[in-house]
Amino acid sequence: MKRFIANIKRYFKYAVYSAKADLKSEVEGSYLNWLWWILDPLCFMLIYIFVASVVFKSSEPYFPVFIFLGLTVWDFFNKTVNASVKIVSVNRGIVTKIYIPKYILILQKTFVNLFKMSISWLLVFGLMLICRVPLSITFLWFFPILIILYLITFGISCILLHYGIFVEDLANVTALSLRFVFYLSGIFYNIGKRVPAPYNKILLRCNPVAFIINSFRNIFLRGKVPSLIMLGGWTFVGIALIALGIHIIHKYENSYAKVI
Amino acid sequence: MKKEAAITVKDLHISYRGIKKFSIKRSLFKKKNSIEIFDAVKGISFEVEKGKILGFIGKNGSGKSTTLRALAGIFSPDKGVIDLHGNSVSLLSIGVGFQPKLTGYENIYLSGMLLGFSEAEIKAKEEEIIKFADIGSFIYKPVKTYSSGMHSKLAFAITAILEADIILIDEVLSVGDAKFKEKSYNKMKELISDENRTVVIVSHSLETIRELCDQVLWLHDGKVKKIGTPEDVIPEYKEFMAQ
Repeated sequence: MKRFIANIKRYFKYAVYSAKADLKSEVEGSYLNWLWWILDPLCFMLIYIFVASVVFKSSEPYFPVFIFLGLTVWDFFNKTVNASVKIVSVNRGIVTKIYIPKYILILQKTFVNLFKMSISWLLVFGLMLICRVPLSITFLWFFPILIILYLITFGISCILLHYGIFVEDLANVTALSLRFVFYLSGIFYNIGKRVPAPYNKILLRCNPVAFIINSFRNIFLRGKVPSLIMLGGWTFVGIALIALGIHIIHKYENSYAKVI
Repeated sequence: MKKEAAITVKDLHISYRGIKKFSIKRSLFKKKNSIEIFDAVKGISFEVEKGKILGFIGKNGSGKSTTLRALAGIFSPDKGVIDLHGNSVSLLSIGVGFQPKLTGYENIYLSGMLLGFSEAEIKAKEEEIIKFADIGSFIYKPVKTYSSGMHSKLAFAITAILEADIILIDEVLSVGDAKFKEKSYNKMKELISDENRTVVIVSHSLETIRELCDQVLWLHDGKVKKIGTPEDVIPEYKEFMAQ
């Protein structure tokens, strides 16, 4: 625990700097340069809104916001978790030449994705203004829920980082499972209404992504306060996952360089 | 007066056993996973005094690089102890964490921070690094446009100028063109002559070892064959290799 905090302190600046470098290098050399950070999610938003409101007509109120909010959350979770499986071998150049706590690589990745997500959130808020979603005081829950999303994503990623090194085909398995979770998270539909009775509650409680997306929709679109017990429960699970992941990484990380 | 030790290694063992990758398919169809044991380093002990230079010699696969990486903290020893007495250590290596799409200038900061230096510390040394790397206006161009020589020059400049207490060098003295080689060799000597800096060199060039090192350690099949002054060890090593 002490070691974790000391390492985070020591490498935090590196993670920030290197995340900036990553973001920059992604758009470096392209004509529109940093505009891509906005254009990319914006185009996605327009495509999904088109598909959702023209092709599948839905009675869901504020349907475009409903969908894009789900996608924003999903993208962060999906991109981070997917990258974490291969993150050590992708960073082979660093890992085989210098000691770095391996979860710093994940920290760096989450910073990259947090930045992208924040742009996406700005678009969501813009869309809410356009759709004239009434503001309610419940939107203050935004940050607590966001923190839970971060904790859970970070925890799962740390654990996958470890197993991704030893299990060669974990990347395929993860990609498949994520696809499955995608459909179980109700990004395009309302789990509460569309899934038959006992299962919808189970899904909304046991699938962290579904729970988080639903909580965001509750606070923004329905003016409902999320259940404190569930929030507390998932915060605890998130912290437990991180503790477990960090513990495993600390225990085995010195042998990673031998394997890759 | 007994001098302060900078590196103490006791009975170091490193092996590559048991931690093999496995795929789900393979473990489903083949019940037994054959475990290969490869002992790279089999119980070596040595001590380096502060400010001294130790050279590793030995044929390929004798465990030199593995030991060096263990000293750098990349591997953990399977058995035995490595004590660096609280000194900072850096492995002089080519292109740690370079981002090919970014400029050399930005990569100086990236690598430097990875080596554990603060932004301010790098800023102070920035000019010196650029000057030493001597790649002209290419420093403001993306690293992917560099020739392999320029790449190495920049990498060498970063690690050589951002100095740690202990420097580990793995065959990088032969970097770049003749002019840069001489320059890096001289820089190496300068770094080495600093009384507070401890250096461990791995090299196949006996000339380099003879000229630079205070002490030579001859590794053979993961064990210490001989340790002593260059005058002592090198002739015997030459004779052994000639056989």
